[in-house]
Amino acid sequence: MRSGPAWALLLGLAGLGPPALAAGSPADRFREANELVRGGDYPRGVALYEELAASGAESASLYWNWAQAAAARGDQGEALWALLRARELDPSDRAVLRELERLREGANLDRAEIAPDPLAGLARSARRFRLDLGALLLLVVSLGAHPCIQHWPSARGLGPTAGTALLLGLLAAAVPVAGSFARPTGAVVRRGAPLLDSASPTAEALGTLREGEVVPILETSGDYLRVEDSSGARGWTLARDVRRLTGPYR
Amino acid sequence: MKRKAGIIALLVLGRGLPGHAAEGALRSEVDARKIGLEDQVQLTITVEGAGSLPDDVSPPAFTNLKLVGGPAVSTQMSFVNGRVSQSRSWTYVLQPLLAGRAEIGPVRTRFGAVEEMAPAIPIEVVAGSVKPRAPARRPTDPFEEDPFESFFGRSRARAAEPRLLVEASPSRQSLYVGEPLRLTYYLYTQASVSDLQFTEAPRYAGFWVEDLERPERPAGDAATVEGVSYRRFPILVKLLFPTRAGRLTIPAATLKIAIPRQGFFDNGAVVQRSTRPITIEAKPIPDEPGFSGAVGRFKASVAVDHPALALGEAATLRFKVEGSGNLKWIDRAPEVRVSGAKVFPPQTKSDLKTEPSGITGSRTWEFVVVPQTTGTIEIPSLAFSYFDPSAERLSRTETAPLPLRVEGGASAAGVAAPLAAPAAARPGGPLPLRADLDAHASGPSPLPGRTIALLAGAVLLLHGGMWSSTRLAGWRRKSAGRTAAPRSVRVALRELERVGRDGMSKEAAAGLIEKTLHELFGSTDGDDSERARSVRRLLEEVQLLRYAPQLGDYSEKLHELAGKAREVVRRWA
Repeated sequence: MRSGPAWALLLGLAGLGPPALAAGSPADRFREANELVRGGDYPRGVALYEELAASGAESASLYWNWAQAAAARGDQGEALWALLRARELDPSDRAVLRELERLREGANLDRAEIAPDPLAGLARSARRFRLDLGALLLLVVSLGAHPCIQHWPSARGLGPTAGTALLLGLLAAAVPVAGSFARPTGAVVRRGAPLLDSASPTAEALGTLREGEVVPILETSGDYLRVEDSSGARGWTLARDVRRLTGPYR
Repeated sequence: MKRKAGIIALLVLGRGLPGHAAEGALRSEVDARKIGLEDQVQLTITVEGAGSLPDDVSPPAFTNLKLVGGPAVSTQMSFVNGRVSQSRSWTYVLQPLLAGRAEIGPVRTRFGAVEEMAPAIPIEVVAGSVKPRAPARRPTDPFEEDPFESFFGRSRARAAEPRLLVEASPSRQSLYVGEPLRLTYYLYTQASVSDLQFTEAPRYAGFWVEDLERPERPAGDAATVEGVSYRRFPILVKLLFPTRAGRLTIPAATLKIAIPRQGFFDNGAVVQRSTRPITIEAKPIPDEPGFSGAVGRFKASVAVDHPALALGEAATLRFKVEGSGNLKWIDRAPEVRVSGAKVFPPQTKSDLKTEPSGITGSRTWEFVVVPQTTGTIEIPSLAFSYFDPSAERLSRTETAPLPLRVEGGASAAGVAAPLAAPAAARPGGPLPLRADLDAHASGPSPLPGRTIALLAGAVLLLHGGMWSSTRLAGWRRKSAGRTAAPRSVRVALRELERVGRDGMSKEAAAGLIEKTLHELFGSTDGDDSERARSVRRLLEEVQLLRYAPQLGDYSEKLHELAGKAREVVRRWA
């Protein structure tokens, strides 16, 4: 699925890769970006983080640092997006959750405005608690216990064990399965991003989206995304103004 | 708006109209300033106040006038907004003596220690008659005439149409778009008024309207309209700003005016008066790129809250425009571009006051400026263009460039970059950057929801298959005449496992086998099936063993019987 690193490697070997990536390992580039950000050169630091993310070297730490740099240069929406992205990658990262809450309050956004789809929350919970593995384990246990009942009918507790394991396994499996039905979402990274009446350069603005707001992505058409804002208004917006929270970067 | 008009009316009645009791006021009024030799003029001297009023007022000196009637005295008491006020009037009827100039001298009276004076009233006397005659009364109506009239020596006010006028008076009739125009609604009256309302809210199409505060105690002044004297009260004042060029018309406004009852047989009256439509000439103002739309006279200034700051901190840039004009309309902020800094859209703050001459005060746009580099950043000159009506041209006010010193960061010349610059979003501390790229990456990738659903479905199917096969086997057992429940079979088998263990005696072991077989198969008497025969054979063997003399070790035999019993159970139960 993620062919980014492989392509980068091939291009690097051919001498055609991006110079930033050709210069060192992702960890080295990450440290270099951190130094740039610490020195106050946020634009270049963020550009390096972006290159790393595009190359597939995504992690909660990468997006955490990206969020710090974006917040420092005043790009509140981008900072929120980066933290949301970090949360998607590592839902158990408490520091990300705290920072996200702080930025959300700073941006005067309601909780519902950064969590428009409850199913996305279920998907995150499933990832955070690894419910997929838990469900799998329980289902296997139930599956193993069932034939044992046939073979050792006198063995006590096998029936309840199989039944309980099956029930819990199904419940645990229901959470990630329900989460997989969540609509894709994106965060508004530009202040005053227009909501357009069509996916066209000549479209008229219906209104503006709030910076940092998370909007469900209903449709994609070229460089435009069809989204729905927190008031229920639907329209098109430029893809560069709304960055996706899930899926590989770019 | 109607409600608003009602409130205005109440204010008028409570504070300014005749009949209202001030702390102590004295008025001297005539019903005409120009009369003929054949006419009479009516002089009314009124005192009003909240406390005690003088019982008598000395009549003024009359020049070229003679007293032909009165004084008729009337006293009124009113409750307005919970306050009691009263007024007392003395009415005289005067007859001119010669054509030319006549005068009613000043009137003086005392309210406690304070002496009040009403000024002299000049009257022009011409030959003949100029005053309109009162309509003839109908002699057939016995109640038409006020029985107290002859006693008090004055005519009833309701016999003639009350002398009331309303007027809308603009401060000017030609002005530029955006310039202020004061529009005052006046009430001209010779009678007391108890209520005053616009029948319909006044409309001002093509104008931006601002309400002006009325004075606490609007003093009525004397005014003459077409030779008739009135007291004039401002009842509503608006400040209008034309929003488009051309001839703009302010339509007529109609007011309902209530006249209080004047005597015992008088029920009062409600009359309607309308203003005249007014036409205003609004001249266009130039529309050029960068013109803010402001009309008036303004001065711009700029300031930052922190002339020096650390990289990552934010400064607030305040661009202030102050002066007099239509500043309230102006929302468009000047475009601020600072090289090396990010400038956020501004917040607007206003400190504006609406005055009769226009809107004065200031409007401030506050921009948050976040430097993105170190060194000295220059906030460029900011301009505000406006139309100056007095000069009749566009003018421009500019601010001086403003330096902003930014310290810290990698680009500070000759200085090693600090490890962390404080961030705007996290003031007061270094940026909490993480050192390891994959510090939080752990564990295998989550399984996709579809995969989990497929796996769960497969498990359910397998369970279902196993359950079905068990059920099928049960059904087969049932069709083969085996009725025991699998659970009972499991229990029976478990019981039979215990036979011969823990030093169990042969009697006890035989009893256990018997009990288990009886519980599982019940009575087999009269049943000639193979199943019943097998069970009966086994039970006979068990009984033989049970009642056999204890001559040796029967454990092997017991185990053999238990094994046979299990086979019978497995086969037939």
